[in-house]
Amino acid sequence: MSNWSLFLSFSLVILAMLVSKKEKLFLEKDLLVGSIRAVVQLVAVGYILKFIFAQNNFWFTTALLLVMVLNAAYIAGKRGEGIKNSHLISFGAIVMGLSVTLGALIAFRAISYKPSQAIPVSGMIVGNAMVAVGLVFRSLKQTFRDRREEVEVKLSLGAPPREAAFSLIRESIKTAMLPTVDQMKTLGIVQLPGMMTGLILAGANPLLAIKYQIMVAFMLAGAVTVAAYVASYFAYRGFFNEDFQIVS
Amino acid sequence: MSIIVVDNVKLNGRDGKVILDGITFTVEEGDFLGVLGPSGAGKSSLFKLLNRLLSPTSGEIYYRGKNLKEYDPVKLRREIGYVWQKPYLFGQKVLEDLTYPFRLSQEKPDMELIYKYLAQANLKEEILAKKPTELSGGEAQRISLIRTLLVKPRVLLLDEVTSALDTENTRAILDLILREKEEKNLTVLAITHNLEAFNFKKVLYLNAGQVKYFGEGKI
Ligand SMILES: Nc1ncnc2c1ncn2[C@@H]1O[C@H](COP(=O)(O)OP(=O)(O)OP(=O)(O)O)[C@@H](O)[C@H]1O
Ligand SMILES: [Mg+2]
Repeated sequence: MSNWSLFLSFSLVILAMLVSKKEKLFLEKDLLVGSIRAVVQLVAVGYILKFIFAQNNFWFTTALLLVMVLNAAYIAGKRGEGIKNSHLISFGAIVMGLSVTLGALIAFRAISYKPSQAIPVSGMIVGNAMVAVGLVFRSLKQTFRDRREEVEVKLSLGAPPREAAFSLIRESIKTAMLPTVDQMKTLGIVQLPGMMTGLILAGANPLLAIKYQIMVAFMLAGAVTVAAYVASYFAYRGFFNEDFQIVS
Repeated sequence: MSIIVVDNVKLNGRDGKVILDGITFTVEEGDFLGVLGPSGAGKSSLFKLLNRLLSPTSGEIYYRGKNLKEYDPVKLRREIGYVWQKPYLFGQKVLEDLTYPFRLSQEKPDMELIYKYLAQANLKEEILAKKPTELSGGEAQRISLIRTLLVKPRVLLLDEVTSALDTENTRAILDLILREKEEKNLTVLAITHNLEAFNFKKVLYLNAGQVKYFGEGKI
């Protein structure tokens, strides 16, 4: 694809703006700003990635992954507002999800730890782990509110907190995993994922693209599960005080 | 030595409202104590304090001479069993509720004991296969009582455990409670409005968070 063809494809945005104007959707400005931002951001990322890939330095790559995780942990941690140590927990959960899956992929020689592979793959892992941790937090907060009585009755029978909250913990992990599981089921039927589409457009053999996509599906299943598990098993503690009572 | 000593206990609600206002009384091992008083007097809150589901805002509670705070909460709650006023069953099936105490102590469920309690509480074994939502209020109440008995506590806190029962079933449950009490030398504290059936020798009468009467005999 030449730059000229890419430029011409902007006419499609103009078409959208015309429709917006005629139908009074008042989206012209958003469309314009949106497309300019997309161009600027992607171009910037493209150059940054090009630079990073050229470095091919172990520590540099690791530092970038850390920045990625810190950002994701911060965002997921905010979902857990009110839960003790939510930012620390989400950091730990995402790091675990990332190291287990990335480590496994490298050990299996599916990818290697060079920036052009480790960074995009980690981006997907961290992004999905972040969503999963956020879902765990939200689910725990909601079930501790809705099912407080159940937990208290179990506590009163002499259940330790983890046992009393067991079904809530389980539900939060399940809630976090379900989107990924559902996505796996519909892969290739309902959706051709972005990664595969990109590879195919760039001229890759569809069979190769599929191989990568399968790897991505498996790795996300693993990452999401590990992150959700770790997050829930630390986060539930924040709902109890040292007397094993539910804190309100 | 008194088995339970409650010493000038105050409890405020989350909103700062006074729920218990300087409660003092003692319970001797083997007592069968009636805890009486109008709605909102603080009876259930007192039981939650004894089961340590709540902690006093001030004042102390002792069990066998040791402050409640010094016990491991899990061990304490198994010693001082609480039967909730509103029965709450959490299992998919009733069986799950009744095997839960065994799960907690990591023992094999003693089905003989479960069947024995069911029979004494006038319940059929078929109830074990039912969903909690399929039970009547009185059935749920009896299952909830049996569930706490299966924890094998030394002190029983019964919060209106016969409120949904007819005369005949109230009698059966009382017989069950008194038999257990005699066999195991349990200490029983019971909240009820049915003074006639319970026939306490000793009562604690609360009103508006304060002890209005504590002692022998009936009110
Ligand atoms: N978690 C809570 N937070 C604030 N106030 C509470 C809480 N639980 C109970 N209360 C209040 O404390 C008071 C005593 O409640 P409690 O349930 O102990 O009364 P009770 O004597 O058991 O009444 P009843 O006979 O109706 O069961 C009531 O005014 C109630 O509204
Ligand atoms: Mg009450």
